[in-house]
Amino acid sequence: MGSIALRGICKSFGGIEVIHGIDLEIANGELVVFVGPSGCGKSTLLRLIAGLERPSSGLIEIDGRDVTRLGAADRGLAMVFQSYALYPHMTVRQNLSFGLENLRMPKAEIAARVAEAARMLAIGDLLERRPAQLSGGQRQRVAIGRAIVRNPTAFLLDEPLSNLDAELRGTMRAELAALHDRLGATMIYVTHDQIEAMTLADRIVVLRRGRIEQVDTPLNLYNRPANLFVAGFIGSPAMNLFRTEARGGRAVLPGGIDLPVPADGPVVLGIRPQHLHPAGPDEAGIPAELRLVEALGAETVLHGITDSGEPLVAVIDGQPAVTRGQRLRLAFDPADMHLFDAGGRRIG
Amino acid sequence: MTGLKTFITRRRGHGGRWHWTDVASWIWLIGGTILMLGPALWLLSSSFKDPAQLAEFPPTLLPYVQRVAEVEGFDTPLPLYTVTLPGGETRILAQIRRLGANAQMVDPADPALRISVPISQRAPLREIGLATANYTDPFLHFDFFTYLRNSVFVTVTATLLTLLTNSMAAFALSKYRFRGRDAVMLVIVGTLMVPLSVILVPLYSVVSRVGLLDSLWGVILPTIATPTGVFLLRQYMLTIPDELIEAARMDHASEWQIYWRIVLPLSAPALAVLAIFSVVWRWNDFLWPLIVLTRRELYTLQVGLNSYAGELNVQWHYILAMTVVTMIPVVLVFILLQRFITTGIAGAGLK
Amino acid sequence: MLPFVLAARVLEPVLALWQRRTGHAGMIAVFLIPNMTIFGIFVIVPLVLNLLYSFTGGAEILLEQRPWVGMQQYERLLDCQNHLQPMTCREDQFWRAVHNTARFVLSQVALMVTVSMITALILNRRIAGRGLWRAVFFFPVLLSPVVVGLIWRWILQREGLLNLIVVRLGGDPVIWLNDRFWAFAAAVGVSTWAHMGFYTLILLAGLQAIPRDLYEAAEMDATPPSRVFWRITLPLLGPNLAVVLVLALIRAVQIFDEAYVLTGGGPGTATMFMTQYIYEVGFASFLRNPGLAAAASILMGGLLVVLTLIQLALSRRAERMRQR
Repeated sequence: MGSIALRGICKSFGGIEVIHGIDLEIANGELVVFVGPSGCGKSTLLRLIAGLERPSSGLIEIDGRDVTRLGAADRGLAMVFQSYALYPHMTVRQNLSFGLENLRMPKAEIAARVAEAARMLAIGDLLERRPAQLSGGQRQRVAIGRAIVRNPTAFLLDEPLSNLDAELRGTMRAELAALHDRLGATMIYVTHDQIEAMTLADRIVVLRRGRIEQVDTPLNLYNRPANLFVAGFIGSPAMNLFRTEARGGRAVLPGGIDLPVPADGPVVLGIRPQHLHPAGPDEAGIPAELRLVEALGAETVLHGITDSGEPLVAVIDGQPAVTRGQRLRLAFDPADMHLFDAGGRRIG
Repeated sequence: MTGLKTFITRRRGHGGRWHWTDVASWIWLIGGTILMLGPALWLLSSSFKDPAQLAEFPPTLLPYVQRVAEVEGFDTPLPLYTVTLPGGETRILAQIRRLGANAQMVDPADPALRISVPISQRAPLREIGLATANYTDPFLHFDFFTYLRNSVFVTVTATLLTLLTNSMAAFALSKYRFRGRDAVMLVIVGTLMVPLSVILVPLYSVVSRVGLLDSLWGVILPTIATPTGVFLLRQYMLTIPDELIEAARMDHASEWQIYWRIVLPLSAPALAVLAIFSVVWRWNDFLWPLIVLTRRELYTLQVGLNSYAGELNVQWHYILAMTVVTMIPVVLVFILLQRFITTGIAGAGLK
Repeated sequence: MLPFVLAARVLEPVLALWQRRTGHAGMIAVFLIPNMTIFGIFVIVPLVLNLLYSFTGGAEILLEQRPWVGMQQYERLLDCQNHLQPMTCREDQFWRAVHNTARFVLSQVALMVTVSMITALILNRRIAGRGLWRAVFFFPVLLSPVVVGLIWRWILQREGLLNLIVVRLGGDPVIWLNDRFWAFAAAVGVSTWAHMGFYTLILLAGLQAIPRDLYEAAEMDATPPSRVFWRITLPLLGPNLAVVLVLALIRAVQIFDEAYVLTGGGPGTATMFMTQYIYEVGFASFLRNPGLAAAASILMGGLLVVLTLIQLALSRRAERMRQR
């Protein structure tokens, strides 16, 4: 079992509130990713769940039991720190068994659990080394191993891959996903990297300034962002946004594209760069002048500017024959369009 | 206000109740503060007491001075006392003189009337006040000013020379490769461990041979080649990139200019630390000046103070005041430059 | 400062000329010579002379007037029927000083390390006003030994503050510095008072270098506080603690000024330590004997060299640990 519930969690440091009333339910076995720009409170939220910080108000429940007042030691959770926080003066084996010794577990069982974790993570031949003698990826495994041997109710991972180089990060990401499948345990994973979030998560929690912006599956977040912030944050390059005025159920975009919209007054129209394509001869399109062409081989990223001076980014498959300074009209399917009201909330 | 309260009661851990270790920590800190600062404050308070008050037991916490009154017919002001008269009435009287177990008193309002009072029936009338004569007398009547001047001269000269010679040597040892450099460094590191007390006798003979006995230069010169200073500055200069020096050479700077205009200004933080420590060391030096200086007019404050305190007839009221004066520069350095000092120690283990 | 700046200005063209004629080698000499000359005369020469002095006799200070006596000074210092009983030694004062110093070192270092360790641990907690507390404990470190000695002489005198407290608590006043036991305890206590801030600072720096998340990891691992201290704090502080220990040892062996001003070595010889013995035999007594003082200082220097070598090795290890 490993369900976690947050009810009205607030946290302030020295009179400044950094978490403003978070409500969240995490089901047993789920992998939930907290994502958001730096300073959004995602790490603080994780530390509140861990018990390393205490909320100013609100309740934390694990498996239906109120643990708000319990210390980190008594919550049965395990954490993987961003810096790994391996004890530098202990061998890998000692690092793994330290927490189990605290529980006064019999020696034989400790040895068995360490061996099992070492086998699972393929660190069996590193057990007598110290952290200083390990590579970054090996340290990462040991840090995860230290969490696994505890057999915790849930795993908390605080930006675990951020200290690795890009290639290793990709490998470890896949291993983490496999590990989650095998263990079937609840995991809460904090990252600022949306690719990690999209690839790993069962559900993503998008945070901004101590508030939840949206909670949903990765694809729902991408397909139906609840507001402008999520629309801009998820997806790369970021969604193109056009501010315009809707009158009589219709809105007009640059280039004379006239669209039906279920709203009146100021609105924001969003279209992902991947959904733009060069307009056919009798197709309506947004005219833009290309300022930069990034040819990546499989796709080409076009950075343009519209006649009204707004930036426009499009991702085109393949290697279209376009050059800098060229004028182009870019069209899209109205079904791919996202519509937001003046307050930034999604319409429809 | 709640902000202040949470600031003060903030503890390791998080929220929750006071743990016994929190209470113990605060007791330790407050007790420690009394023990650390109390003696110096007690010294300060005592230094403003007049000799009569210093001889009292139990002593008072704060310095008091006797109230006095001008009484007609007497040239000097007379001390005032609270007197309990035989009838049980208490009055404030001025004392003219003491005769055995009795004191001859006078009422300041009625100078003609003399009253004889047993001294057990009178208590001095005092108010909180400072016996500043403790401070002025040593300057006016003793050599205290000379000692102070000697100490200032030794401290300032030794510090400036230390900074100059040590930084020159550190520059050569950090920015040039030459044969014997490692040997020189080895000698310097090796002598880091030679305390003065180990070479007392031969150092004395060397200083006497070069004619510096009973001279302030005899105090200054042996201290300025401190291996610690060279070591500290060299470690710092090693962190200055060599590219900077090569760039200066490309700009036709002479080696002296490189030292004086580039490396020295860039070493300011390390120089500041060394300067602070040098000032404190030289100001506080005791054993070596005690040996080199035998003529009173050459004594530094520390030696002079010790010799006063060692005299048979110890005049504590002067000693205490002079101790406070001796303490002042160091206390000022401490208050103004505390941050430099603590980082210097944490970084280099200096003392 | 001004004369230095002016001198540097004047020197600039002169040295530029010198550099043109002699090149870098000449300039290296210019930079090194002032320091090396002073260093040579006042450190290296005395170091060598010390050995020579210890082989000569008489009261003369100039070496050429002193007769060669070979190992006699050392024999005199070391001649004992029972080294644990100073009275049975030919140079009983020296052995008293050695015994006092040994007792002093053991008690003072133990007290010093304990007290500064506790203070550092407390200051490392998330406590309000840490900088202020640190300053308070550091304050006496900068005071001169003479000032320290006088402050405490004043407090420990018959009509002093300590006796006031004793009397208020219902005890009888004690003349602390006239009592062999209390005078020794005062020397230990006062020197600890004066220097503990320094060691506290080093230990605190060591404690703060231990990453916070190690403690958080230990918290997640449900580690009891005592086990955190013994298994995490102490091992990671180990090198710093060793440096502090040896540094305190080295300083304690050389104890002189504050004890001298406080007690003058008395009552009797209860607080006479090795440096005071060297000072008195070499300079202050009527029967001054520089050769004997030199021999004693070489014995003490040998001890210090051993201790310092240990310290250097330990601090090098501490440096390596920190770089990891």
